[in-house]
Amino acid sequence: MRGATKKGIAVEEYNKLKHMFDKGALSRRDFMAGVAMIGAGMAVTPSLLSGTAQAATPKVGGNFIIGMEGGSATDSLDPRTYSDSVMIGASLAVYNCMVEFDSNGNPTGELLESWEAKPGAKEWIFNVRKGVKFSNGKTLTADDIIYSIGIHRGETKSPAKGILKQITEIKKINDNQIQMTLEGGNADFPVILGDYHLVVVPDGFTDWQKPIGTGGYTLEKFEPGVGLKFKRRGDYWKAGRANFETVEIRNIQDVAARTAALQSGQVHAANRLDPRTVNLLMKDKKLNVVRTKGTGNRFCFVSRVTDAPFDNKDLRTALKYGIDRQKIIDQVYSGFATPGNDHTLDAGNPFYNTSLPQRKYDPDKAAFHFKKAGLGNAKIELQASEGAWGSAVDCAQLYQESLKKAGINLDVKKVSADGYWDNVWLKVPFCAVYWGRRLSADQTFTQVYSSASDWNDSNWKRPEFDKLITEARAELDQKKRKEMYWKAQEMISDDGGMICFAITDYLDGYAKNVVNNEPHARYDLNDQRIAEKGSFA
Amino acid sequence: MLKTIVIRVALGLLTLWAVSILIFGATEILPGDVASAVLGQGATPETLAVFRHELGLDRPSYVRYLEWFFNALHGDLGIAMTNKRVIVETIAPRLSNTLFLAGYAALIAVPTSVVLGIVAAINEGKFVDRFVNIISLMTISVPEFFIAYVLILYLAVQFEVFPSLSTVFPEMEFSEKIYMAALPAFTLTMLVMAHMLRMTRTSVLSIMSQPYIEMAFLKGLTRSQVIVRHALPNAAAPIISVIALNLAYLIVGVVVIEVVFVYPGIGQFMVDGVAKRDLPVVQACGLIFAGAFVGLNTVADVLAIMVNPRLRHPR
Repeated sequence: MRGATKKGIAVEEYNKLKHMFDKGALSRRDFMAGVAMIGAGMAVTPSLLSGTAQAATPKVGGNFIIGMEGGSATDSLDPRTYSDSVMIGASLAVYNCMVEFDSNGNPTGELLESWEAKPGAKEWIFNVRKGVKFSNGKTLTADDIIYSIGIHRGETKSPAKGILKQITEIKKINDNQIQMTLEGGNADFPVILGDYHLVVVPDGFTDWQKPIGTGGYTLEKFEPGVGLKFKRRGDYWKAGRANFETVEIRNIQDVAARTAALQSGQVHAANRLDPRTVNLLMKDKKLNVVRTKGTGNRFCFVSRVTDAPFDNKDLRTALKYGIDRQKIIDQVYSGFATPGNDHTLDAGNPFYNTSLPQRKYDPDKAAFHFKKAGLGNAKIELQASEGAWGSAVDCAQLYQESLKKAGINLDVKKVSADGYWDNVWLKVPFCAVYWGRRLSADQTFTQVYSSASDWNDSNWKRPEFDKLITEARAELDQKKRKEMYWKAQEMISDDGGMICFAITDYLDGYAKNVVNNEPHARYDLNDQRIAEKGSFA
Repeated sequence: MLKTIVIRVALGLLTLWAVSILIFGATEILPGDVASAVLGQGATPETLAVFRHELGLDRPSYVRYLEWFFNALHGDLGIAMTNKRVIVETIAPRLSNTLFLAGYAALIAVPTSVVLGIVAAINEGKFVDRFVNIISLMTISVPEFFIAYVLILYLAVQFEVFPSLSTVFPEMEFSEKIYMAALPAFTLTMLVMAHMLRMTRTSVLSIMSQPYIEMAFLKGLTRSQVIVRHALPNAAAPIISVIALNLAYLIVGVVVIEVVFVYPGIGQFMVDGVAKRDLPVVQACGLIFAGAFVGLNTVADVLAIMVNPRLRHPR
């Protein structure tokens, strides 16, 4: 209990020091001295500091053009409809979130400057940053924050509704302070508030075609499916950010067209480069390829453990040993991926279970477990489609080959891409799925594996697991938490229905003269904030 | 003649109405709806219900169709269900882009194909004829994205003559648009030339076996004179039909070109609409495409009648 209070205050103090350092009011030496005095025991990572130091002197100007995949003619700047990269990137140019993430994925204050948890991590106090203006001149207050969260709660179509269910009450303390009460303790609550849907708009705002935000740019033009154009605001509250005079996002779905545009200099940045050609691009002297290793998308084949024959644990184990992870990574992703260990947490997370041996392709073990399952020569059906992800069918076919060597017959059924997420995922016994990275272990486990989640695609419900993660959620002792999460990973990897075989790297391409484009632990294009963080050399 | 045109137009409107019902029905039968398509992986039963109620999707389908139809008769094509934009405003620039590209390609392709077809017919069996045939067959057999990528590789990346991204914006100068859309226009030209060229050649050659042609030769006219003055006007009808068909294809069938060259036309717009089950968008695009086909075919029929004196004054 005492530890919790200390930690709450410590977080606030630390955030204050950091804010002063960011603003330039504190030298690096004094900042370190301050942190040592707090005795917060917080690891101040070098990249955290070097990131902010770099931001102190970027060049202002230039017209920055990004060629992006992940948009459609049905896009809108209503945050309740965000699902793909172009809108997320556009959103972070005109709006700000409440919580931002540093390059390592730790939450830092954006419009919610700092926060403090009362003991038990159930009640939280958030401090709203002062002196921030919207593009229409209005000053940011707690009412704007409360409204911006509110549109994603209650009777809403927003996909963020599920993660906000844990909030039981939001109360305004004064114009710059908000109290939020949760239904249960959650030490990682600020991470939830950093979700990309939760951008801040003025209180009562609904005119999504003419967005008003606190971001560094204003929207000049928006043609859904074609592109957007932004202009620098000039009075952005973050020093050293929003450095381009104008920014254009061009929606280029075809990877060959996007690569050609990058090579011919028509765009200065491109996302989702093709792993099969990226080695050639790395040799191009005019280009710079930025690779985010180990924190990209998780690619899986998931079976529903309540549907026969996948309710048989031996079969599930056989299927986990029967997949040649390295071969898929080499052939489909040209080596630009790390093997998954049958749960969706990656090595970048501090709670990653390093003692759990990496499951490798073992046709003998697979054959042994399959025989033990007693299914005779039964055929197993796996449904896959480009609608799951572009190369899903290729991965499924390699899986079929590797299972054959173990004497298991896998029938790969290719289904239509159209309507995949409606009719196949969460419904059929065995299919392909991918998961984006979640920034907290708690979110990862709760969204994918807890009994109450709508997205538990393996339908794996274990009360001991639920109890474990609920306890871990509120546990402020990091060592105890680690033990609990390690156990959780063991349980999933051993008993679960998911075969997570690869975690791919993000591959972004930039013109040589674009800087401040480091890899980020969350998303590509520097956490989709390249317009806000980047600059020309 | 006027009577023919009026009947044709009336039948065309009837076709458009039938098309609208078919498109509505087909999109309804497709699995999923706009709510599940837009929310994707983020859909839960509650969010889906709210989304649907907001758009009035919980009403029966005939009610929704009649409401759309009634509005369409007044020129109001509705609002897109996915991003709440007025459809007429969003389609107009995309449609004008498509028409621009179609016109650009047609202006190059049609005269070239007809002239080359006539040249091939005049020089039947000779080297020119065989050469033109082989080249046109090659370009039509190769998939359009392949031609597109080859053109981009050589003319945009290696030699930087034209831009690889052909995205045009309304505020661009006409000359700039011509420059930006050059590569897609060339690709489309190569795609449609073969059909028109070969039809011209075949049509002309089939007339050549007629007795009056033999008479013209016996009179002493040269081969080119015979073809241009006597054979071509009679051969015009099938040629005009094929041209109309290809023009319609240039408007409705070029989604792949739009994707590869990132050209903001109406094809990609409709594909996105279908993928998200955005019914008003799909209906609007369907109407435009059907209208293009019906309109162009009607014009072709009328022209065919006008060109042939025997049909102009039926006995």
